[in-house]
Amino acid sequence: SSATSKPVVHQSHPLENSWTFWFDTPTAKSKQASWGSSMRPIYTFSTVEEFWSIYNNIHHPGKLVVGADFYCFKHKIEPKWEDPICANGGKWTANYQRGKSDTSWLYTLLAMIGEQFDHGDEICGAVVNVRGRAEKISIWTKNASNEAAQVSIGKQWKEFLDYNETMGFIFHDDARKLDRNAKNKYVV
Amino acid sequence: LVGDESAVTDKKYSRDFLLKFAEHWTDLPEGFEISSDMEALMTSSVSSHVIERDSH
Repeated sequence: SSATSKPVVHQSHPLENSWTFWFDTPTAKSKQASWGSSMRPIYTFSTVEEFWSIYNNIHHPGKLVVGADFYCFKHKIEPKWEDPICANGGKWTANYQRGKSDTSWLYTLLAMIGEQFDHGDEICGAVVNVRGRAEKISIWTKNASNEAAQVSIGKQWKEFLDYNETMGFIFHDDARKLDRNAKNKYVV
Repeated sequence: LVGDESAVTDKKYSRDFLLKFAEHWTDLPEGFEISSDMEALMTSSVSSHVIERDSH
């Protein structure tokens, strides 16, 4: 028998990718000169169990302070436009009223770490931005010009969230140049 | 039923499968450090933190 060839590891379900949680708060932001410099990695996890160990001990979006940004990105991809892997990417965004995004945020995380997207390789990570009246969840992707992949991700994400509104995809390049005037390149 | 073979080989996990672990992993990982700028992120009480499940 070859029973000894593969040791069984109890209580550990490895993920396809390692993921890093990042956190940024208004308090931290105000102490720093430039945007992004107060953003810091919190923890990198690579198993289902580690994910829950963190998730169960952190506030969900509805309880985070206004101005907070919380990220879950693939390990070694920084949640910044300047990151070489993100630079040519873009993002799908789902909008919620303040206090209404907790379940969708969790479902977004579970879909990503559970590799439920057909084009999961295209995904950099996700972020939830907590603002005065709204909570915004975005999924960042790598190659914005690959329309088929982006649209597939957008459609699947809407299904996972049971999201009924129209969802738009903005190129980081447009956001960088046009800020709030950047228009959706794709909609689902 | 926790480990099915396809999950082990593909490392693809459905939402329902992942949710089964939620209530069993409530302690922070060993060596996890909470710095002052993370206080706004952390919950003070672990026990008050239960995942919402579909109850209806």
